[in-house]
Amino acid sequence: MARQAAQSGRVRSDGTHEGFLRHENFRWLKIATIISLLAIVSYLLIDVQPRHNGGSWFGYTLGTIGVLIILWLSLIGIRKRKMSRGHWSLKAWTSAHVYLGLSLIVIGTLHTGFQLGWNVHTLAYVLMMIVILSGVWGISVYATLPKVMSANRDQTTEAQMLASLRSIDRQLHDAAQPLDQNHAELVRSSLDQDPFGGGIIRRMANRYPACKTRKAHDEILLIMGSQPGDKDDPLEKVGSLLGRKRAILARTRKHLQLKSMLEIWLYLHVPLTFALIAALVAHIVSVFFYW
Amino acid sequence: MSFLIRQISRTSDGREIIRAYPHDLREIIIGRDASCEIHLADLAVELRHARLTLQENGKLDVVALAGNGFEVDGSKTSQAIIDPAGGAELRFGSHLLVISVEDAVVVITAERIEVLSDSTQEKDEIGLFTLRALMPGRRQMAWALSIIILLALLVWPIQTFYNYQNAEKRPAGFHADSLWSSGSLSSSHAGLGMDCQSCHTEAFVAVPDSSCVACHDDVHDHADPKRLKLAKAPLNWDGKISRKIADGFNRPEGRCVECHTEHEGAGPMEETKQQFCSSCHTDMDKRLTDTKIANAGDFGTAHPQFKPEVITANGSPPKRERISLDQKPVEDSGLKFPHNIHLSNTNGVARMAGRMGKQFGFGQALDCKDCHVKTPDGVQFQPIDMEQSCAMCHSLGIEKIGDTVRTLRHGDPKMVVADIRAFYRAGGPYRVRTQQVMEGRKRPGDYARSQPYYAYFGSVNYSRADSAIRSVFSKGGACYDCHTVIAPPAGSDNWQVQKVYQTSRYMMKGWFDHAAHDTETCSSCHAAKQSGSASELLLPGIKTCRTCHGGEASNADVPSSCAMCHSFHADDGAPWVPKFDMTRKRDLSKTRIENDKARK
Amino acid sequence: MTTQYRVAIIGSGPAGLSAASRAAVLGLTHVLLEKTDHLSDTIYKYQKGKHVMATPSQLVLRSDVDFDAGKREFILDTWDSQTGDHKVNVRYHSEVKAIEGEQGSFSLQMTDGAVIEAETVILAIGTQGNPNLMRCDGGGLSHIQYTLDDPGAYIDEHIAVIGAGDAGIENALGLAADPEQRNTVTIVNRNAEFTTAKDANIKALIAARDTGRVIVRTGTTPTLVEPGFITYDTPDGEAKVKCDRIIARMGSAPPRKFIESCGVEFTSEDRVAFPKLSPSFESTKQGIYVIGALAGYPLIKHCMNQGYDVVEFINGNNALKPADEPILEAKFKDLPGRKSVEEWLEFLRSNITILNGLTPLQMREFMLDSEARLYRAGETIFERNDPGSSLFSIASGSVEVLIDANDPTKIVPINTGSIFGEVGLISGRRRGATIRAGEDSICVEISRTAALKLQSSVPAAKRAIERIATERQLLQLFGSGLVSSDLTEVLDNSEIQTVSAGKPVITEGDEGDDIFIIRQGSMIVEKKVAGKQVFLSYLPAGSYVGEMALIGNTRRTATVKAAVKSEVIKLDGAAFKALLEMKPQLLARIKSDMASRQDLNAFIEAKKDSFSSVVDMYSNVANFLVENGMGEATDVLLIDETLCVGCDNCEKACADSHEGLSRLDREAGRTYAHLHVPTSCRHCEHPHCMADCPPNAIHRGPDGEVFIDDTCIGCGNCQRNCPYGVIRMEAEPPKKPGLLSWMMLGMGPGPGEPSKKWSYKNADPNVAKPKKAIKCDMCSGIDGGPACVRACPTGAAIRVSPEKFLTVARLEGEGG
Repeated sequence: MARQAAQSGRVRSDGTHEGFLRHENFRWLKIATIISLLAIVSYLLIDVQPRHNGGSWFGYTLGTIGVLIILWLSLIGIRKRKMSRGHWSLKAWTSAHVYLGLSLIVIGTLHTGFQLGWNVHTLAYVLMMIVILSGVWGISVYATLPKVMSANRDQTTEAQMLASLRSIDRQLHDAAQPLDQNHAELVRSSLDQDPFGGGIIRRMANRYPACKTRKAHDEILLIMGSQPGDKDDPLEKVGSLLGRKRAILARTRKHLQLKSMLEIWLYLHVPLTFALIAALVAHIVSVFFYW
Repeated sequence: MSFLIRQISRTSDGREIIRAYPHDLREIIIGRDASCEIHLADLAVELRHARLTLQENGKLDVVALAGNGFEVDGSKTSQAIIDPAGGAELRFGSHLLVISVEDAVVVITAERIEVLSDSTQEKDEIGLFTLRALMPGRRQMAWALSIIILLALLVWPIQTFYNYQNAEKRPAGFHADSLWSSGSLSSSHAGLGMDCQSCHTEAFVAVPDSSCVACHDDVHDHADPKRLKLAKAPLNWDGKISRKIADGFNRPEGRCVECHTEHEGAGPMEETKQQFCSSCHTDMDKRLTDTKIANAGDFGTAHPQFKPEVITANGSPPKRERISLDQKPVEDSGLKFPHNIHLSNTNGVARMAGRMGKQFGFGQALDCKDCHVKTPDGVQFQPIDMEQSCAMCHSLGIEKIGDTVRTLRHGDPKMVVADIRAFYRAGGPYRVRTQQVMEGRKRPGDYARSQPYYAYFGSVNYSRADSAIRSVFSKGGACYDCHTVIAPPAGSDNWQVQKVYQTSRYMMKGWFDHAAHDTETCSSCHAAKQSGSASELLLPGIKTCRTCHGGEASNADVPSSCAMCHSFHADDGAPWVPKFDMTRKRDLSKTRIENDKARK
Repeated sequence: MTTQYRVAIIGSGPAGLSAASRAAVLGLTHVLLEKTDHLSDTIYKYQKGKHVMATPSQLVLRSDVDFDAGKREFILDTWDSQTGDHKVNVRYHSEVKAIEGEQGSFSLQMTDGAVIEAETVILAIGTQGNPNLMRCDGGGLSHIQYTLDDPGAYIDEHIAVIGAGDAGIENALGLAADPEQRNTVTIVNRNAEFTTAKDANIKALIAARDTGRVIVRTGTTPTLVEPGFITYDTPDGEAKVKCDRIIARMGSAPPRKFIESCGVEFTSEDRVAFPKLSPSFESTKQGIYVIGALAGYPLIKHCMNQGYDVVEFINGNNALKPADEPILEAKFKDLPGRKSVEEWLEFLRSNITILNGLTPLQMREFMLDSEARLYRAGETIFERNDPGSSLFSIASGSVEVLIDANDPTKIVPINTGSIFGEVGLISGRRRGATIRAGEDSICVEISRTAALKLQSSVPAAKRAIERIATERQLLQLFGSGLVSSDLTEVLDNSEIQTVSAGKPVITEGDEGDDIFIIRQGSMIVEKKVAGKQVFLSYLPAGSYVGEMALIGNTRRTATVKAAVKSEVIKLDGAAFKALLEMKPQLLARIKSDMASRQDLNAFIEAKKDSFSSVVDMYSNVANFLVENGMGEATDVLLIDETLCVGCDNCEKACADSHEGLSRLDREAGRTYAHLHVPTSCRHCEHPHCMADCPPNAIHRGPDGEVFIDDTCIGCGNCQRNCPYGVIRMEAEPPKKPGLLSWMMLGMGPGPGEPSKKWSYKNADPNVAKPKKAIKCDMCSGIDGGPACVRACPTGAAIRVSPEKFLTVARLEGEGG
């Protein structure tokens, strides 16, 4: 039968999910650790005169290894997007990317020989560290947020979120028709506002102090509280609709917040990677230029 | 019928739906309330917002019934008279009412011209659900950063370099290529900090020796480069590899900077380590079979006995030879001087010293320093001066005139002969007879109160000059005691005294600094008290030194690398230790010429 | 006295108008009767600008009317103008009510009362049939309509849609789509719940009802229609409501009844059976000819050729060879012995038992989808585990089955006339054994569709195949030295049952000792533990259940119910017991199977005590997955949402490895306990999409993937048939700039499926890219396998087969 049959040349799963961090039972973590230990031990054993620095043969060796790793790591940007044949899995790449990237902390630092200053060489080092740290940040959000996002989204897709918002707006618009002007104004303000407006800060913090929907909802609740509530009061309907809109907004905004958190670190990680590569070019050229 | 209301609405797929409502009224109401003739489902519109009245003259009177008014052709108002024939545009909330006339009927076309709510308008979902809308693009940022960095840290420095490539001297102040400096320069080169080109003279060419020599013009080679090459220890495998790589990256071998590494941080330049010497010298004879230089690896363990340069035969010039101390070399300086007598604490010398102490600042007995005086830098000692150090006892007086004592001239035998003859000619017989002179003590020791010493002529007949002259140059005579006298041929009185040479430096290859040994007493190294003859060499052997000094890595009191005594670029000065700032005598143009030479 | 036409052609579809044109060109007196006011209503109803395909490409077109792949409009224009040029006599608005009389003097009763006389009649009315009419009073009123072309065209009306099938629901939703239309739409359903409609449609309808856009009346039937009003009989009494328009969507009666009423016989009672026809398309009723889809030829080219041919035949040109002659000749040319196509067809028909029932015409058509080959003695016909969905039959010679993979000496012969490879019909199964020719033999390889068509048109064939299939399945399943003779009794008492999803075949605690073999679909085994139904295991097709009660003489120890609509072979307990007594070997074998299952039960019950929550989770997840089609799946994409960061790289990868269109929607789909089943093909055991594909373009590939080849005509049937909504109709987007030029310079839309806007802007106006059906093909042919899985950076996405995923191992893993 097809399913039992050996699947010719395919990456087959054993039926369980295995995250990129524990890929192949932490293969790359082990490799990276070995590399780092090797670097540290040899740094301690090899006696460079007068003291360790990037200019010694050992320094050059570390530097070369480091730059090769960096270039390979930056290739994930292409690998990720270039769909080619072959038995590669991006998960394995990510795993290697993460752990080799971390091992750079050791290799890079030893390469400097702890000689830092206000120069291109230290700039390259600092950039590398920032990139790595942003990566660590990325890992942490990747590890923690998806669960939350999945729970918050609860099977609704982004398209559905917007659609439900649209329909609720239409219903609000219709329901508010009989209201007198000042109440209508409340509803209108909720309709006209872009509920997701505001900058990155607002989105990341998921705080929308000027949310007209909330304002409208609260006020209408207040009014209704004061009035004897009767069934077919349009205000009742508007109130409940606003309540629902508020709930939808809450979920969507939460979703936006989580997504932006999953994304924002890349805005540091990626550009700085290129800055780093540029700095490395300057670093290497300068070394050979003033040989 | 007087009014025709056309209400236009669009479906989401853009299909236009037109609904027409004729009204046979003079007066119609515009509002959100369903009961209005023109019903605008628009929350910005009042329930009953405005009244249209068709006047007799066919004009339309529009009056706002509630707070906020409306717009007529773009201008806000609360009341307007409109000629339908002329047409007009009324704006209520987000609805537009176009008024026109078709065959005597006022046609009012109402259409919503703004979206019903923010969310109902077209939204770019990717834009909303990613950060693209909120953040500057990653691609742009990447480009910008990379370009900035490349410009600031690559283009600018290179541009600086070529700017000053042929300039005499860089103006003071910041220069971009200093951003490339991998660490601050040693204190001695600190002044060069902003002028990379003073050493890095060529792009992609490793710092050449010419750059150093340009300033350090007095530094000469350690040895003939060819021999130097020979002497080098063969490389082991990794050495070979790194050599190959270095060649590949065109870093020639044996450049100054290999030993004198720079950019290692402020402070004095690193002292050259022992290994730089030992790598060749420990077993150099294996490679340089004809070398005279003995192997030396570590001062404490592998260093040959010292070979001071001693005078083996007097004469002018005297013959000097380097002889190992183990061979107990003797020196023929031409002087007779028993150190033991002069340094004794008990004999007459001691007593005289005690007596004359006040006058000449001696102690209870004579001490080295009473005769040996340090050179100002304290490294070596000044040569002994007869008048200064001997004459107070060994007087050359021959006659007392009043209080003045006439003395023979030291260091000039002819003058001595002449003086004596002159003395006899001038009324000699009378004075000789009266024995007024030339008596008194023969030599220091036989002491008489308040009487000066006289030159002693030996037991002679004072009646004749010739015998006096002979005796002063002969055994027991004043000259003979300290000097080697060369007697004249018979009949002549051309007496001569051999020249005295005092060696100020014995260690010609190494460097010994007495100042550095102030903490020691002379006798702790020099056994002078026991020495009865000046020909004995009082230098201590390596053993003595090793009591304190050991190799660089040894745990002796004073670990000493080769550089402590030996200089790579050997000269008769002290080993080179950079202390001074040498910018003052820098001359770029000279550097350039040197480099050009070097390149050709 | 009305003129008597030589031919009356009913239906102006491709077949009809081709026939009419031929008649016109030959100068025969003729009339072309068209129900509507335009030619070729079916194609006319295609959406505007639809690209119509011309398959099969190897078939030459033989007609006076031109036809080639192109836009709907263009094709219709060509036909209109050419029929005009040929002076075809068309009679519009002519619906035939009945056909009376005999060859030479038929009289056609029109719905408008007219009567048309004709010597011969050509039925080219297709399979659409006529809509069921409103039976209640006022059913004839003019504001009742049976089709709805443009829902957007109606505003401010009270509209009642009768019948809540897919068509009805789609119409209702269309009419209520835009609030601006201000329609008051009511949909009326006879039953309490919606049985006939697709899930997606029902959901949409419920949503529309909840937002007040559509009024839904269930358990309701219209009783009276008056202008402006309609009266319903509702569960709570009569109700008379405003109604300006009625759209009746109560399904359509297949034209069969009408045709039979004309005296034409069908091959079988089966729903999809076709009329019995002679090689010249003449039906059992002399003088009435049947062509086109009705005759079993859904493709336009076939229809038009038949139109031409049938008129030629009627005109007495019997020498005419059918248009497919060259194709058949090609098929037979390699066979030994110089035989004509007819002779070959006859040879096969008479020699192969299951083909005996076929008419020569059916034989022709049958052979078009089949291959006849000569196999030399010892030549291997197919290998064990080869993929294959075809059935083989032996026309001459005999073949040998190597039943034991390890021991080539174990051979079972199959003789002339019989069939083999029937497992292939149960799609997606690999060959159970290697088969090679025992002597020089001629075998016919019958494609899956051909075989299914055969079974439906020749009931005898169906029975024969089923019996052999069952027998062989048992032999294969139990092995242990059984031979077919042992099984006769069991087989005689066996029956094939169809079990609808969720229905149990075995219920815990019941009496009963029958054995069930799952032939199609799959089952899940549940057991009541501590008052909870606990999922025990998942049984794919090909496994058997029920042995515990039989051997242990106990009541049923667990409940076995169908995960999806399944077919089981029920073996009578007594008969099977007898067999077991005869065959201790078999008994041992079954006992061992049973033991392992008991262990499993024991294990789960043990777990239940220690990790009850884990077990609950496990069976909940299992049930959730089964609900979401795991049951009929062979390979599902599962996303662990604790790992998924929502980068949509899976979609991008999918698009980029398939001409820029993504076959999966990561976000959509159900989720349970962070386990997400995205909208993506499950490669069902019995793909719904295959059910009705005119060009037969959907196949199962070597790795079990269900894929659509490029003969797709974009009809959209598969899209409609897929219950999981994983098939899209899309036109291939224009080529994107290279990846690097995007990364560096931001050229093009970047990785993944380009936005509609971009595609539209960058499309090459000169080439019209037809919309085709696209779906996951499991990246078949792409080395490395499914791109979605390979491209997942976090390992959230995996592709698994259900029995891999629904194992206890998982439970152990979680139980820790």
